[in-house]
Amino acid sequence: MRDFVLFAHIILGLALIAFPILIITGLKKQSNWLKPFSILTAAVGWILLLPSGKLYLTFYPATKTLINAGSKPWLHSILMETKEHWGLLIPITATVAAGLVLTNRPEESKRWWILVIIISILVGVMGRIIKMGAV
Amino acid sequence: MMARFNFYAGATASAWLLATLVIVAELIVPFKTLLKTIFSHHWIGKAVAITLAFIIFGFLLKEKVSSGRFNESNIAWYSTIGNLLAILLFFVIEYFV
Repeated sequence: MRDFVLFAHIILGLALIAFPILIITGLKKQSNWLKPFSILTAAVGWILLLPSGKLYLTFYPATKTLINAGSKPWLHSILMETKEHWGLLIPITATVAAGLVLTNRPEESKRWWILVIIISILVGVMGRIIKMGAV
Repeated sequence: MMARFNFYAGATASAWLLATLVIVAELIVPFKTLLKTIFSHHWIGKAVAITLAFIIFGFLLKEKVSSGRFNESNIAWYSTIGNLLAILLFFVIEYFV
């Protein structure tokens, strides 16, 4: 169960980096697939909350205990606390970007797609640092 | 339907509400406990609250709010970036102070 949720978390997280990159490259060409693909990307942002929540609520407490008992409690107090809350704004940001594409404002959507990419990368890097620090 | 929804207003409301909930929940323990009591976990409570804020403010504030450089697009953009940084800064300060 944990592995399935973890893989879903990683794959959907990577999709939130790759999909916006594809969308940004397609913005200038006004491609036909932009609108449905934007909806899909925003949907991925919301669906990602499910494995994220499962990992955080069910499996992370044991890791948290380990981290807080170790020499690097800042991994939880700063990184995990920031990561868990930044992650909540990813679906909102992706929905804004998708909404701008759907309402024919592709140029305005560009910086929001870039923000989705940046937050997703930073959240992923934080997760990796927390994981490495906990073992 | 889509044109009636103000994505910028929704994003602005969500970003400010999230940072506010984070800070208040950390500083006022009974509030964090209340979120946990209602939603089973404070994180779920925050997720539900900012999602509702996004939807409600998106539908309520349909009219564009623009004033020079402070148009709704920039307000949403800087609110989102600013509140993301505020959350990080808050946890850094909370850890060291």
